[in-house]
Amino acid sequence: MAQFIQVLILGLALGGVIALMGSGLSLVFGVMRIVNLAHPSLIIAGAYVAYWAFKLWGIDPIVMLPIAALILAGIGVLLYRLMFEQEAKSARYSEMTVLLTFALAMMVEGLLGAFFTNTQRVTSPDYATDAFFISDIFIPKGQLYAGIVSLVIIGGLALFLKYSRMGYAIRATTQNRDAAELLGVNVNLVSVVAFAIGIGLAGAAGALVSFVFSFFPAKQWEWIAMLMSVVVLGGMGSILGTVVAAFSLSVIAAFVGTWVGATWSTMTFFLALFVILLIRPEGLFGEKPEMA
Amino acid sequence: MAATLQTPDTGAVLAARKAHDEKLAKRADQTRAIWFPVTVLAVLLALPLLQFTGNYNYLLHLVLFTASYVVMAAGWNILGGFAGYVSLGHAVFFAIGGYFSGVLLARFGISTLLTAPLAGLLAAVCGYLIGQITLKVRGPSFIISSIALLMIARILFDHWTFIGGANGLALPINDLPVLWAKLPYYYAFIFMAAFTVWATYRIKHSKLGLGLRALSKDEIKAESAGIDTRFYKVVAFALSAFFVGMAGAVWGEYLTYLRPNIFLIILVSANLVLMCILGGKGTIAGPVVGAVLIVGINELFVATMGASELNLFGTGLVMAVALMFFPLGVVGTLARKGKLPRILNWD
Amino acid sequence: MTALLEVTNITAGYGDGPAILDGAHLTVVPGKVHCIIGPNGAGKSTLLKAICGMLKIRKGEVVLKGERLNGLRPDQILRKGICFVPQERALFPKMTVRENLRMGGFTLGDARELDRRVDAILDRFPILRERANQHAGTMSGGQQQTLAMARTLIIRPDIVMLDEPSLGLAPKIVQEMFSIMKMMSEEGVTVLLVEQNALMGLKNSDIGVVLDLGRTLIEGPAADVLADPRIQELYLGGRKAA
Ligand SMILES: Nc1ncnc2c1ncn2[C@@H]1O[C@H](COP(=O)(O)OP(=O)(O)OP(=O)(O)O)[C@@H](O)[C@H]1O
Ligand SMILES: [Mg+2]
Repeated sequence: MAQFIQVLILGLALGGVIALMGSGLSLVFGVMRIVNLAHPSLIIAGAYVAYWAFKLWGIDPIVMLPIAALILAGIGVLLYRLMFEQEAKSARYSEMTVLLTFALAMMVEGLLGAFFTNTQRVTSPDYATDAFFISDIFIPKGQLYAGIVSLVIIGGLALFLKYSRMGYAIRATTQNRDAAELLGVNVNLVSVVAFAIGIGLAGAAGALVSFVFSFFPAKQWEWIAMLMSVVVLGGMGSILGTVVAAFSLSVIAAFVGTWVGATWSTMTFFLALFVILLIRPEGLFGEKPEMA
Repeated sequence: MAATLQTPDTGAVLAARKAHDEKLAKRADQTRAIWFPVTVLAVLLALPLLQFTGNYNYLLHLVLFTASYVVMAAGWNILGGFAGYVSLGHAVFFAIGGYFSGVLLARFGISTLLTAPLAGLLAAVCGYLIGQITLKVRGPSFIISSIALLMIARILFDHWTFIGGANGLALPINDLPVLWAKLPYYYAFIFMAAFTVWATYRIKHSKLGLGLRALSKDEIKAESAGIDTRFYKVVAFALSAFFVGMAGAVWGEYLTYLRPNIFLIILVSANLVLMCILGGKGTIAGPVVGAVLIVGINELFVATMGASELNLFGTGLVMAVALMFFPLGVVGTLARKGKLPRILNWD
Repeated sequence: MTALLEVTNITAGYGDGPAILDGAHLTVVPGKVHCIIGPNGAGKSTLLKAICGMLKIRKGEVVLKGERLNGLRPDQILRKGICFVPQERALFPKMTVRENLRMGGFTLGDARELDRRVDAILDRFPILRERANQHAGTMSGGQQQTLAMARTLIIRPDIVMLDEPSLGLAPKIVQEMFSIMKMMSEEGVTVLLVEQNALMGLKNSDIGVVLDLGRTLIEGPAADVLADPRIQELYLGGRKAA
């Protein structure tokens, strides 16, 4: 029983970060129909920001988080302007952007690899290796903090989407781009903002990831598959779905990791992706068409 | 506003409507220069004669390397180009073919040149089964599922001790003299490349190819036109896996070892996609043009920057630029403009 | 009498495809109901899309109250006073009826004023009031069309363009759409209607426009258009055309 709770807690603790990693991806897909395969590579870029800030100046990664988010959001605006603005008008847009972001992912990995090499890195603030103990059960501080910060950020995002005027416009654009435009929403502006927020979220996630997981540029492929399974299970474009899916899969992966073997824990995500595509391609919260 | 009714008479309107429709319809032109690919093939078959005059191993390697990619890219094209299902997971079939024939070579000493068709068949069967699952979804979902497939295969191969796990498997080296050691593989790949290109031509113009092209435009319409889209797609998947698997089989022996981090990497898949896009997805000559271009560009990168991470950056950059500015590829763009040289019109 | 909207000889098409509209013109008179008819594929929807900025105009001009609209985006054109309800109704399926109406007033800055107007609309359309908290995607076709048309009234535009509001609706509901349209017109909104049922459309409008092959063939009082024998033959199915 104690072990059961222990594994559950470890799974939940990681779920928060994974949800944050996936939420930007989901947002960007929802608003712009861009399946951003470069998202994980940008998370890794964010992780490097936090890593070097800690290594060089001893800045805590959680303190660095807003800065990493801002830097990445800026990069997001640039990328959108350079790569996606024109594409938005093309016919096979959705498929096109997958390949385009795939190319971008390779470019980011190549650049990061050239600068920082493919050695494994991890930011190591004190709490990253520390834990709280409740009788027999331990809760790793790093993962707990990262999870809490993630949930706060996702909560903020949800409030922003629900109540702000921009959030209204983003939701409207997500549901029906043409209609939003016909009702006076500047959808191009909305797209830039949403894309910047999405990539900013990658930066924020990166800062947290930097002390939760070890990372290196080529790690992105594993994360692509992992995050895609989260986002597809949650129903592409649904933030709530992403959060629920992240926690469920993370907990399942934790149990698989403990009872079946560590290598199979990542496999959970990939197999889940297959199973979801097989039985419910629209995901938990998604709607049928569009993607399929 | 004064009402001015200047209606032309009805016959004139109907005639104009017909003329208008015809103006909008596109004309296809049909000229082909079959002598060109045949000449290229003849030259390539004769190329090893150069070995009598010196060591041209590097040249042979480049041609062989390109030919291997022609096989795979043209194979990929059946699914990605004709049917419109872009797969980033085809490295899996490369590995399946490579490992199947490689294990036979390592255990029983049977050359992969003999077992390659079987390797292709095995890859096709795997493709058929996988396609049953993943071809249920299209567009981005399909692409994602293909990446997941690759990740799953990588974990499996990395942990499968029978085939050496992550360390891989060493294969025996043939005992031909250095000058001639490449020849069996050289001819094998040239032959496979020619066969694949010919096969894709036949497939494109068969009932299957027609169905695939129809469903790539609009699956629902194709279905209501009586095409069993499900079956067609799966067959396309199997066929494309066949060629990739066959190439993998021979590649393993040529390389003299098998290792997941050589066979099961996204870069292999990416190259296939890139070649088809750069050359022209869905055209017959496209994958060939793309393979030549990409191998050329790659050599250039390696020569100027060394085999570094920047290489990956370069591949990504070429891909992004191609997608943004020549989404139809070299062959496709030229054809669209009506400027495709006859020697490249193989469709 | 000055025109409210003047469309002169425009050429437009999709992407870099062929010109679908080639020499279409249109004069919109303030306060009147205009009905555009023409066979399938004539370019009627394309004309409305070109006016509202969803398609790039390659040649010709669209002028609203003396101001050139060419090259503006749909959201900018809405702010100039032209509201478009496309054939597919443009609702937000996962927003409630009330939220959809609020989106109709997205360009209004004042949130309290917006709430007031939304309530006024709900008062005028009891079917919408009943379903104020239902998701738009779960309503019937007629209800959705009512919502789409009612939504245009929130910002009180100069011109409302309706693309086949009767599409797929039962005859009785079609009548309702026409009465909503009449109501709009009585409030001083100029209506530009595309209608497949030419007879019904022309009977309910002041001005008739015939579009074919991407060109405007006829423009004139609806009654005259309706009476013209050649029109009868070509577009109304009065006699069989060859
Ligand atoms: N999104 C599009 N992309 C390319 N061509 C299009 C598109 N929409 C319409 N067309 C073409 O434009 C032409 C005119 O279409 P349009 O929708 O304007 O006709 P319409 O008069 O509204 O017909 P209907 O009465 O059937 O609605 C048609 O030939 C059609 O094929
Ligand atoms: Mg229409």
